Amino acid sequence: MPSQRTHLFLAPGYFRDIFGSRRWSWHVRGRHDSSGPPDRRGGVVVRGWRSDHAVCLWIPNFPLRAEEARRPHLADRPTALLAPEDTRRIWQTSPLARRQGVQSGLTVSQAIGLCPTLALIEPDPVFYDERFATLLLRLEDVSPVVEPAELGRAYVGVDGLEGLHGGPERVVEIIAEAAADRRTDGPPRLGWGRGKFTAWVAATRAQPGAPIIVTDDERAAFLRAQPLGALPLDPDNYRRLQQLGLKTLGDLAALPEAAVIAQFGREGKAAWRLASGLRDEPVQGRARPQPIVASLDYPSPVADRGMLAHTIGVLIEHALRDPRRTGWRVQTVRVRAALEQGASWLIEVMLKEPAALRERIHAPLLAHLERTPPTGAVESLAVEFTAFARGTDELQLFAQDAAAAARAGRRKALRVAAREIQNRLKRSMLYRVIEVQPWSRLPERRYALIAFEP
Amino acid sequence: MVPPARTPLRVDRLRALNLPSSVEVSLDEWGRPTTIVEEPELPADRRTDGPTDRQRRVDEVVEEWRIDDEWWRTPIHRRYFEVVLEGGAHVVLFEDLVSGEWFLQRP
Repeated sequence: MPSQRTHLFLAPGYFRDIFGSRRWSWHVRGRHDSSGPPDRRGGVVVRGWRSDHAVCLWIPNFPLRAEEARRPHLADRPTALLAPEDTRRIWQTSPLARRQGVQSGLTVSQAIGLCPTLALIEPDPVFYDERFATLLLRLEDVSPVVEPAELGRAYVGVDGLEGLHGGPERVVEIIAEAAADRRTDGPPRLGWGRGKFTAWVAATRAQPGAPIIVTDDERAAFLRAQPLGALPLDPDNYRRLQQLGLKTLGDLAALPEAAVIAQFGREGKAAWRLASGLRDEPVQGRARPQPIVASLDYPSPVADRGMLAHTIGVLIEHALRDPRRTGWRVQTVRVRAALEQGASWLIEVMLKEPAALRERIHAPLLAHLERTPPTGAVESLAVEFTAFARGTDELQLFAQDAAAAARAGRRKALRVAAREIQNRLKRSMLYRVIEVQPWSRLPERRYALIAFEP
Repeated sequence: MVPPARTPLRVDRLRALNLPSSVEVSLDEWGRPTTIVEEPELPADRRTDGPTDRQRRVDEVVEEWRIDDEWWRTPIHRRYFEVVLEGGAHVVLFEDLVSGEWFLQRP
């Protein structure tokens, strides 16, 4: 199958469980030697890859579970997590707290009134984001096509994996094993189906540890029987559909499409197509930056450790300024050197905390350099950032959470890209929509385009 | 006098969005659209009897209204129809009552 061949060629590291890490790593080195060092997971740009069949992995209340895993002594107490945007309100609650009437949205005083022994936890969004990023990396060991939806929910593209593992049941099992973390409370909910919507609905119906597999033949019947609440609708439209006496997706799919569109517009059309099984929504692979490399050739071989340490610092600074790094923190950094007489030297450091500051990346490399220095004089030196995490250190000082930091990073990247386009084409090809007369009864007078100048 | 700090908005750099495009419309006995052809018809020697690729049936007329405006300069008289085309596309059609031409726009 073509898709299977593509996966094997482009993303070898993801299948090391099947082929054995040593054999695979040798193969990767062979391919990359001419253009740069091998990459374990950050070196492949997963862009534009898609998969029609999906496994939805869902861990409800992911942030609260992460907190409970971090503080095991809270396991037998009613707990509640405060909302990141308003710490006077409850965001997520444990089953023990729910049993005593504590629900999300309540104020802290209301919650304490209902449950005096309630343990309140301050939110730590960066921790949840990093924990979820680790989960995604584990899933990427199984399939290169992984699409995060929200904290605790991700879709894994599974097209082509049957040829390697044999059957959806085995694929789901492998994904469950990859996602398993002894520190989390119980296994995730998993659903297998064609398209993200079917997989998501299956995951919501599945019990932890008992995945639901919806084959293509069963899909129409499965969707027909599901309640209307499975659809991504705004509350008003959901209420209107209920008032029309519709209860299941089958009831909605039985209506003429044009009538649904006339009543509910674009959202109605999307809902009707999802309910009818006509909209597949394939899983899209995440875009991640390629490895960033900064290198230097010495005019004459250098053996002085102080000089090497200084060069590493300068190269880190240079690599950090690469526009592709904007919006991402460095997770893994390696330094490689070509030594006299054809020998080489390599150190790799996975940072405990992803960083975007020179000092934080430099320090562990220096410790490594002191511990295991090169065995000969260095002819050339290269610093490589090979794996990344979203967000930047500097922005996190001000941002509420890592997502906001990543958004700010993307805006900065957009400004850089816009400037580059303008420099190359001599005029801007990017436009911004502005309101001119939004109140006008003539549609063509409401909005206009203006050149985007960051 | 200190000039305003705000960068002036250059009207010449604005590009209108959602400009109406010319469309041919067939009407029923009450003057409501039944089919549209998005481009001018082909020359007579290349015309076929069946529906063309650009011809689309109007499945439903959702709403109808009229605009009479700007009588003090160039008067605007338009009759609008919000319709659903076959395949589910949601569009707005209007007849310029001054020229008799039909146009298509996004809602």
